[in-house]
Amino acid sequence: MMPRFFTSFLPALPALLLFASCGESDVTPGLIERSLSDSEKSFKLAESSTERFRYQTTPAAGSAGSAAGTGENEGGPRLIYDTPAGWVEKPGSTMRDINFTIGENAEAECYVARLPGAGGGLLANVNRWRSQMGAEALTEEQVAALPTKPLFGQQASFVAVDGSYTPGMGTTDTFENYRLLGLILSSDAGAVFVKMTGPKDLLSKNEAAFDQFTQSIDVNLN
Amino acid sequence: MAKAPIDWSPSNWPQLLYRFFTSFRLATVIFVLMTVVTLLGTLGQVDNGLHAAKVKYFHSFFFTEKVFGIPLLLPGGLLLMIFLFINMTLGALVKVRKRWKGAGLLISHFGMLMLLAGGFITWAFSTDGYMALYPGMSTNRVESYREWQLEVMPLSKEGVAEKAWIYPAEYLDTMRSDEQRVIKAESLPFDVVINGYSKNATPIPVSAPMAVGVTGKELEGFKLSPQKPSKEAEQNLPGCFVEFRPRDGGAPIEAILWAGSYRFDPREKPMPFTFTVNDELYGAMLVKKSWTVPFTLRLDEFIFERHPGVMTARNYESRVTRFEDSEPDKPLEIKMNEPMRHAGYTFFQESFGPSGSQPGDEMFSQFAVANNPADQWPLWALVINGIGLGIHFVIMLVNFTVRSRNKKLSPAALS
Repeated sequence: MMPRFFTSFLPALPALLLFASCGESDVTPGLIERSLSDSEKSFKLAESSTERFRYQTTPAAGSAGSAAGTGENEGGPRLIYDTPAGWVEKPGSTMRDINFTIGENAEAECYVARLPGAGGGLLANVNRWRSQMGAEALTEEQVAALPTKPLFGQQASFVAVDGSYTPGMGTTDTFENYRLLGLILSSDAGAVFVKMTGPKDLLSKNEAAFDQFTQSIDVNLN
Repeated sequence: MAKAPIDWSPSNWPQLLYRFFTSFRLATVIFVLMTVVTLLGTLGQVDNGLHAAKVKYFHSFFFTEKVFGIPLLLPGGLLLMIFLFINMTLGALVKVRKRWKGAGLLISHFGMLMLLAGGFITWAFSTDGYMALYPGMSTNRVESYREWQLEVMPLSKEGVAEKAWIYPAEYLDTMRSDEQRVIKAESLPFDVVINGYSKNATPIPVSAPMAVGVTGKELEGFKLSPQKPSKEAEQNLPGCFVEFRPRDGGAPIEAILWAGSYRFDPREKPMPFTFTVNDELYGAMLVKKSWTVPFTLRLDEFIFERHPGVMTARNYESRVTRFEDSEPDKPLEIKMNEPMRHAGYTFFQESFGPSGSQPGDEMFSQFAVANNPADQWPLWALVINGIGLGIHFVIMLVNFTVRSRNKKLSPAALS
């Protein structure tokens, strides 16, 4: 015999199901017309999706060859930084706020990229970099345990991987005996990536310069 | 003695339902389940954030929770409180024997019912949003923190629109990422198709390294990368794909819409996706849901003080003027802990911006605007509850005193 509570409960089931279905609706209304108030009437006609999505519309203009550079962009604050000795600054691009080549024949490169939002998240980006170096993916716990280094006054995850470098991006070339050093600062407010890749020997000599450069990056609000 | 069998015939169902809803056991089970839901909701807040936890555990009829890896279907706070309300109304007010001795408990239960009813009214009818103004700006419009709607508007060449067609937030928010909806508007020359809606997303240029892992359509050099919803729901920036299908058979126009194209600053102009159909310019974008209050507020002065030598705010307050058709213009001050209450709305001094502003920069003031018809109900409910318990205490005390006296005076006690 069922307990009294359950026998009393059964008649209430239809009512329960009725309540449960209240929140669901497959009815999709058409668009609803409304007048706009004065504070809502004016819009900016963006020239491109790049502007509409708040990416900088002009390449960052660094001061090539100078000891201190400023990555300027119209839409956001300017970046200031120290250029390490022997690093050659190149013009930025839509995706790169700061861009350097390193080595006599520009064998290595280092760049800074910023993205609105989390930029895919820390785990995905760490493992994307590792896959470019032919290394195994890390678990979420392993990524959370990565060492950190300061970047913009916060602690950014530090990635260091040796291996065969396949940059991707339309190329299938692989570069043997390479090293990747990178910092990732990922939050919902935005993501910052600093990535240096190149021959292992060359990067070993530039590890201190990498730290010096990343610690010098700041935002110039003046 | 054997219990009489239960009569399950349909004619007896009302009686069974009445017995079920007035059952003291039901009340006990509800309280146990409410304890469980409160515990899970409190723990869930850590992983999901305050708003998401409120919606999942307390604003729901049912929710699923994994306990030791096993998914369990549990009743949500809303269902439990509705059942408790019915149980308490029928059991403690209707069914209970009415006598003077129980007057205090009756009043006390009425207070508890008022508390539950107040919670329901708050859930069903309250609104919360914000109003941000630079000095000199005025508006009667309040924007939602978390709700986004799709708007399509005919635009002049200067980027001015007089009206818009909206797809409400209540419907947009129910879209799944794999769902497609076709929305019609008779007065527009095209249908709108929405798909790939994500509550939190980032458009990524296809040239960016991180675009490699993003599946989905590429439009104008961008892909839409869905992101894990933020714990702070107001930080989510939704995105979706839209398609405008001209009804005259013209080629469809596709675009990515992203909430980040809306303004982050009250002076900023929103940037819609623009397209042309039948030589008319249109804009489309994700816009924060907004509503109006029955008066206009102008910010006259924003006073902002920092602690010496640091950027931390010490005090900030707003001097405003309230304009209303039926009343003379009224200058007011809104300070932290000194809100403006008027016409059912409460304006709290909430924050300021823009972020990273330096001393000397012009700043805007942001007010939290709450409208809750049951705003004061918890206070009154607790007052009624207190009165009821007080009366019950006095009745019990008098009864005890009389009983004790009678006992002392009884022949048995005297002998």
